[in-house]
Amino acid sequence: MGHLIGEKLYKEKIMLKRLISPLLFLLFAWFIVTSTDAKTIIAGIAIFLIGMHYMENGFKLFSGGVLETVLEKFTRTTPKAIGTGFLATSVVQSSSLVSVIVISFLSAELIGLTQAVGVVFGSNIGTTTTAWLVSSLGLKIKIAHYALPMLIFGVIMGFSKHNTYKGVGSVLIGLGFIFLGIAYMKEGFETLKEGLDLAEYAMAGYLGIFVYILFGAVATVVIQSSSATMAIIITALATGQIDYISALSLAIGANVGTTVTAILGSLTSNKNGKRLAVAHLIFNIITAAAAVALIYQLKDLVDFLAPLLYISETNDAMKLALFHTIFNVLGVLLVAPFIKPLVRFLETLFCYKHEERGQPKYLTSEVMEIPASAIEALRKETIHLYDKSLEAAVHAMNLHRTEIYSDTDIDVVVEQSVSQIDIDIDKIYQQDIKNLYSAIIHYSSLAQAHLDAEGNNRIYELRLTARNIIEIVKDVRELQKNLNHFKKIKHNYMINEYNKLRSELVTILRRVQEIREEDDEDESAVLTQIEVLKEKTKDSEIALTKNIDTLIRENMIDSQMASSLINDVGFTHSICKKLLNSAVILWIRDYEVKELGDEYEG
Amino acid sequence: MKVKKIMEQVEDFFDLSKNKQKKKQDKLLKLIASLEQKKAMIKQEIKKEARGDKHSKACYNLCKEFKVVNKLIKRAKKNIKD
Repeated sequence: MGHLIGEKLYKEKIMLKRLISPLLFLLFAWFIVTSTDAKTIIAGIAIFLIGMHYMENGFKLFSGGVLETVLEKFTRTTPKAIGTGFLATSVVQSSSLVSVIVISFLSAELIGLTQAVGVVFGSNIGTTTTAWLVSSLGLKIKIAHYALPMLIFGVIMGFSKHNTYKGVGSVLIGLGFIFLGIAYMKEGFETLKEGLDLAEYAMAGYLGIFVYILFGAVATVVIQSSSATMAIIITALATGQIDYISALSLAIGANVGTTVTAILGSLTSNKNGKRLAVAHLIFNIITAAAAVALIYQLKDLVDFLAPLLYISETNDAMKLALFHTIFNVLGVLLVAPFIKPLVRFLETLFCYKHEERGQPKYLTSEVMEIPASAIEALRKETIHLYDKSLEAAVHAMNLHRTEIYSDTDIDVVVEQSVSQIDIDIDKIYQQDIKNLYSAIIHYSSLAQAHLDAEGNNRIYELRLTARNIIEIVKDVRELQKNLNHFKKIKHNYMINEYNKLRSELVTILRRVQEIREEDDEDESAVLTQIEVLKEKTKDSEIALTKNIDTLIRENMIDSQMASSLINDVGFTHSICKKLLNSAVILWIRDYEVKELGDEYEG
Repeated sequence: MKVKKIMEQVEDFFDLSKNKQKKKQDKLLKLIASLEQKKAMIKQEIKKEARGDKHSKACYNLCKEFKVVNKLIKRAKKNIKD
């Protein structure tokens, strides 16, 4: 009976949930249709948001990797990272775009957590430039006049084949819509004032401050953009719909609200995204607390600084922009000295003790959205696949990596590694390697959607390399069977021949490891070495095959053994070639040099 | 269609793709110069080694390197033309 009632209640709850969203939507639609002023304001917000969206996409295309390069190269120290975060966000007018790039760089290990946190702090100051833009340009000039030509030229440039022009076109469309949105918001607030004066409902004291902070935060969470909230606050303030102190509180609320947006966004993100969201939360809470505690002192500071910046006493909109910048700078000054302990704390969060086998280390959907980090993450994941596969392959050949990569003479390494290592290469392939390979294929497909022709070529090379690595494992599986068989029946001539094959492999593996560890500036010299090794491998295959003929003629091995050996010489040669080709793709950075390699020969 | 044509003319005016191509060509020319230098050095060393033992391992290695450097120069020259 109880069970039936519970089930009925559950069904009713679901029904209610299903009804709430359409009902709220209908209510909102009715409100918009009946209220002309609200309709204009809300349409203004919608147009502003469309503009932000176009601007963000435009900068993604237009920057052509410049933004990524700046964020990667100019973030070495904390002050530099903060400065770069500020500049990047000021220029692109989107802290979310900067955040996406930073999270993807962090995941691809292009930058560290300290640098990423620095960029996020700087980005917070950068977002305050929107307030300056709206309060200075947006309200003083009739910007709607400039919006239409911008939209026209933006659409024309969209016809271009080049991403740069398309991007500039998108940025122009974005700016056009932003200007148009501000104009609509301003018009809406001006006509609203004739019928309803929101300023009459202003609450005095700290209660009012907290209520408006809450309003600001909720508005930002709903709109999902602190810049849009700031634009609304400034236009409402300029048209006298809200008083100055309420606007200051709303601005603090917008900062708090943006944190909620970041946290919601990070729920589906990897540990790096979550750690950055926590850093953002901590920063914004401290900043908001400081701003609330010192709100009257900060207001006085703004009043003192405004004349020095040629802002008139009555220009509350620009004074609000100044207040917004000052309290964000204050937040950075308060938190930046503690960035190292903060990072140490963040690193203790979201650590998973048991990482699942065969899971990628660097690949996430976010990383794939940014071309520079997508290629680097896929390269690192392919190296991860290389390490996992080589570990299995080396053990299958009864060898140990520590010995291979030591200074010990190669023949000694091979002769001393006599005991059979029990390893099920099929099982390892299924459990670890195949999953990793599948992830590389999956994520590279996602990345290709955001890349130009050159980027797609790089992805294609990496996919080919991943396939080569997989084939190495499969070739080794064949070699392992015969190696252990002849060891078991103690056939000395065959053991000797297989040791030669193992020596061959150790030589190449050792050399590839050296190339990996060396930081040789002259990459053409590295390529020359690799190509020489390929030539030598070909010679050695011929020599080994000739030796098999001698062994047959001298009746030291039978024809069945010879056929196995000939096949395995082929497998060994193929493994060596694949290892060397992989080294070219994975460790030679210069594309002009890389393209001279054998695998590029048509 | 006409807008597309105008855009193509604007793009040609700013010469975006040609700049990129020129950068690549300059890089390849530098690469060829350094490889040619290497080739000349190897050639001298081969001569020196060949005076002693033509079939020595060092001579074999140098010959292989010479062959590879030659191949890389040829490919670099081909890539410039492409």
